[in-house]
Amino acid sequence: MILPYLAIALLILVTAYSAVVSFRRAPEAAATSWILPDGARRSARIFVGIATVVIVIGMVAWLSISARNASRRSLRFLIPEGYSGWVRVEFEISGAPALTSEGGQTVVKIPPTGRLMTSSPEQYGWARDSYYFYSSPGLSSSSAGLRLILDSGPERLIWGKINGEAAGSQGIRKYEEFFVGTEQLYKDQANSVKAPDTDKHPARTTP
Amino acid sequence: MLPFFLYLITGVVTGFHVYALLSFSVYTGAINPLELVSLLGSFCLLIAAYLSLFRPPAAGRLALIACLLMWCFYGPAIANLVRARL
Repeated sequence: MILPYLAIALLILVTAYSAVVSFRRAPEAAATSWILPDGARRSARIFVGIATVVIVIGMVAWLSISARNASRRSLRFLIPEGYSGWVRVEFEISGAPALTSEGGQTVVKIPPTGRLMTSSPEQYGWARDSYYFYSSPGLSSSSAGLRLILDSGPERLIWGKINGEAAGSQGIRKYEEFFVGTEQLYKDQANSVKAPDTDKHPARTTP
Repeated sequence: MLPFFLYLITGVVTGFHVYALLSFSVYTGAINPLELVSLLGSFCLLIAAYLSLFRPPAAGRLALIACLLMWCFYGPAIANLVRARL
């Protein structure tokens, strides 16, 4: 909270200082002081130039490393054909099966109940997830019996995606939730019924 | 070196402050154009910092213009804050 006050204090100081520097008329023979110097020494300019280059290179390197770490493997959600309602995936549940990977994507096959528990950890970062309806429980995720579900645009069926943590009798559980259905259904249930857990603390939201 | 550090620190602090406010605007959906003007002022102040090493009077004029740009945002913001507290 100190930042706004610091910014205003510095702004007042710089405004006054720059006004004095801009409008003062120094006598020709006047000696320069440290408050109103007549330019910097050559060594100081070289030092500032080198320091600037080092800082810029450091920032670029840091940003590129953070951007690389922020990406995650995308998820492929397989949802039972005709399912409508909230889907919930709970992570790091001991004894539950781990998520599998296919074609560079992590496959999340949702059972007809709409609730999946997995021992796999939740991954954070930016990635483009995809959603499909599957018609037969025995089909693999690469089968042709998958139908794409849109998560954007006027025909979208995916809404309210949220990640969070819920505290329960088994400790803190990480989960991911989203709604499958038309916009009208989503709005209707949002107005009438609360989400499965009311004590959730969203950690991130991906469109 | 005093003007250099003064302009640089002020440019960084005000720029970071307004950038933080702008990042909040992503969630609210409403971007205040004066915040963008203030951000431009912070950028001009950084340029003034480097210019002050070579031409202090010109840097002073640029810094003054930058400060006026920043006051476009901070002036109304302070006025609103004072009005809310009274």
